[in-house]
Amino acid sequence: MRNYEIMFIVNPNATEDEIDKINAQVESIVTSGGGQIQKIEKMGKRRLAYDIDKFREGFYVLFAIAGNGDIVKEAERRLRVMDAVIRYITVRCDEEVRRFEKIRSYRQKRAARRGTHASAAPAVDSAEEAMQ
Amino acid sequence: MKSTREPKRPAGQKQYYRRKKVCKFCVERIDTINYKDVKLLSQFVPERAKIMPRRISGVCSQHQRRLNDAIKKARSIALLPYATE
Repeated sequence: MRNYEIMFIVNPNATEDEIDKINAQVESIVTSGGGQIQKIEKMGKRRLAYDIDKFREGFYVLFAIAGNGDIVKEAERRLRVMDAVIRYITVRCDEEVRRFEKIRSYRQKRAARRGTHASAAPAVDSAEEAMQ
Repeated sequence: MKSTREPKRPAGQKQYYRRKKVCKFCVERIDTINYKDVKLLSQFVPERAKIMPRRISGVCSQHQRRLNDAIKKARSIALLPYATE
């Protein structure tokens, strides 16, 4: 199982219903492929940094899913076909999260170690200050 | 006693100090550089929307690499521009 984020931009002229319909389609692809949906976030209408198909703004939707590569392949294929979707991107994010966890655990361990030597630590600080 | 003077420089050359640059991500302990964080990324893309080089921003190489990836992802989903006039 891997974690992915699928973000896509829907045509700004699309109605709320159409966006919900697209979301439902993506959702069904994920669930039928044996994946889980972790989050669906409608980020709302935003100005695009550059024009895409003559549109200056777009409706951003973010999906966070857990699943395998086949789901992503299928979802991307479907998004590509949809006319209302003007841009999409899929990012794998489990590696980044794992790296972050590692850094955090390391930092906590260090903080704990510093805590046990709390009496020694201020002495070092004051010595450093004296030198400056 | 050894003196701790600055190394000798040619006569007439002006002495100036350059502030030591530090990596923003290391100092502020920003661990994840996310492509959705436009506010953070836009600090590293000046007006022309080019990625700011490390020698100017002072970002360390590990973070610059992640920053590069994030900016390029953000560009492809129109959160950041590729170029501006």
